[in-house]
Amino acid sequence: MNGEDPQERPREIFAIINGLERYNPEAAGVLEEYLAQQCQKKFCDCNANRALLKLYQLNPNKIKDEVITNILVKAMTQFPSPQFDLAIHLLLPSLSSPSASSSSELAEAVSKLRALNALLEGAQYGRFWATLDNDTDDIYADLTTDIAGFEDIIRVRIAQLISEAFREVHVSVLEAWLGLDDEEEVKKFVGEFGWKVADAGLVQIPKNAENEAKKSEVREDVNVDMFSRVIKRSWEEAA
Amino acid sequence: MSTFQNGMAAARAMDDDSDVEEEALVADYKEQVQYEEGMDELEHVPSLSMAQQADDIQSKLAQAAQPLDFQAPLDVKFQSYDAYCSLFHYILNSDGPVDLEPPSYYWAWDVIDEFIYQFNSFSSYRARIARQGNNEKNEEEVQMLRENPNTWGCYSVLNVLYSLIQRSQITEQLAAMKRNEDPMSKAGEYGSKSLYRMLGYFSIIGLLRVHCLLGDFSLALKTLDDIELNKKAMFARVMAAHFTTYYYVGFSYMMMRRYGDAIRMFSHILVYVSRTKNFQKNAQYDSITKKNEHMYALIAICIAFHPTRLDDTIHTALREKYGDQLLKLQRGGPDSLPIFEELFRSACPKFIAAVPPDFDNPEANVDPIEHHLAIFMDEVKTNMWSPTVKSYLRLYTTMDLKKLAGFLDVKPEELRSWLLVNKQRTKQLRWTDQGLLEGELVNVSDLDYAMQGDLIHISEAKVGRKLVDWYLRNLSRTYA
Repeated sequence: MNGEDPQERPREIFAIINGLERYNPEAAGVLEEYLAQQCQKKFCDCNANRALLKLYQLNPNKIKDEVITNILVKAMTQFPSPQFDLAIHLLLPSLSSPSASSSSELAEAVSKLRALNALLEGAQYGRFWATLDNDTDDIYADLTTDIAGFEDIIRVRIAQLISEAFREVHVSVLEAWLGLDDEEEVKKFVGEFGWKVADAGLVQIPKNAENEAKKSEVREDVNVDMFSRVIKRSWEEAA
Repeated sequence: MSTFQNGMAAARAMDDDSDVEEEALVADYKEQVQYEEGMDELEHVPSLSMAQQADDIQSKLAQAAQPLDFQAPLDVKFQSYDAYCSLFHYILNSDGPVDLEPPSYYWAWDVIDEFIYQFNSFSSYRARIARQGNNEKNEEEVQMLRENPNTWGCYSVLNVLYSLIQRSQITEQLAAMKRNEDPMSKAGEYGSKSLYRMLGYFSIIGLLRVHCLLGDFSLALKTLDDIELNKKAMFARVMAAHFTTYYYVGFSYMMMRRYGDAIRMFSHILVYVSRTKNFQKNAQYDSITKKNEHMYALIAICIAFHPTRLDDTIHTALREKYGDQLLKLQRGGPDSLPIFEELFRSACPKFIAAVPPDFDNPEANVDPIEHHLAIFMDEVKTNMWSPTVKSYLRLYTTMDLKKLAGFLDVKPEELRSWLLVNKQRTKQLRWTDQGLLEGELVNVSDLDYAMQGDLIHISEAKVGRKLVDWYLRNLSRTYA
């Protein structure tokens, strides 16, 4: 799973999440600090972040709203993956239900982020960028402000997913999906990945294991062991 | 009768290569049941004198494994909690290991099972009272629940389970077993006693369950790191434990989108149940039947996400029980959504909240089932067009995206997203032979495609005929 157990995880965090220390309310501070590090240094440790959400689940008086939303935004950057859902499962039930949620600010933030995540999970990248742009109340800007390079992380991830499905893709599609303003920007961005812009507005993506769609045949492996019992039995019966 | 069953078992034994162990286990189980039946008869006689015995602790032990009446009043539930606390305190914090003989082979499992069951139903009950709001009818109960927020609290339940695990050093013992060493060398003063070892072991499975009830599915699977899920596992000797383990592991896998692994778990246990049902004791079997239905419902959900070949027995039963629903699930689209909801609701664990409800704001206490269902449905909605997309792609080797969009009556941009979603979901983690959370990323679909501008190149993996299974089965049939 993406972002589950990153190499950057320090030993002390490892000790917390793999031992009983994960239940100690005092550990929340250390995990919060670690989250701040993840936000700055652009890596993601969803496993450790879930340990923090677990502490909040058991000790609601410890909850810090902005920590929860930062965890969710970090988990979102791992799309497509169950990370975001796994984090939401640990929140208070009232935060996910539209009927009771109107009251708190956190509930509203969670529902906004869920909508955003659904766009990424559903590969509706054009709509994702449009939603970010249409952020009249600056809600999304506030929610993502702590996550260094949020838009770039998402953009690179989308590009990677495109390369796993396309051999050639129209510049206009890329423009919408990458949330870039014009063709020039697209060309500059894809150039860094070694993608070539060919004629007729098509961008060529180098071959990889995923965008080939090779024909394959599944055959049955047969070995003697599979028959061992039949042979054994016939042997015994004969004897 | 028994020879007939043996004959059946032998004929079925050719289904897969793990059968030798499985048959041994089934036979083993049968033996246990017969042994137990014998015990029952014996028990009728001395039960009177048992009661007369001054041995208070033995009756406490027996009591702890007794199911509490579902409709027991609140104060009985509180008393029961206190009884558990004092019993576990005695077992854990006496001067050295206590020398107790558990009343039966199943006792350790029954105690942990009942302990968690009561925790679960107490939490659900408390939440229900809170949702009803304050009225004259429940005023007294609300008052009592408010004043005792820590009774049946999450921390104390987790504390009991973790303490039993630590005291028994069961983790160390299991690790030694994995390395083919003698577990006793690591067992210590407590863990070498069967009482502690069994309590510790079943506490691990208890933790799996508690984590799952709280919605922490990855931690639930992580808990089982030391237990190897195979026929030799200790839990396999207690049917209810075996069954519970696979249900919760399967469910957790499903929530982590590892549908292939979930199906494997559910199938394994359902096949096992169907093989042993002829000699199940009735009472035990009844409770299993209900969970059985749940697992079929969950298999239906998983199979809709991840079409795959099922074991023949499971396939037939699934069609019998959920034939109509399965068809709708597999067709996808908005019509399938209510079916997903219905099946999930009926088959999920009785989720609970980790902390006491807010008695002052009844409407703020959302049923945790709704919470987890809503999140699960997000993923269902994301995937609901995949069956449609796949059914069309199967018909072609190349296809123009705009043309296909025309067939489906959607905008090309929309279809492009659907194609991406479906392709991204074909890669799933699949368990190999390490911890339950580990696995390798594999392509689980026989259909693959790549896009070149608006041209879709499609390739379908051809599955060669599988003959070995057929051959073995017929051989055994002919010569049986």
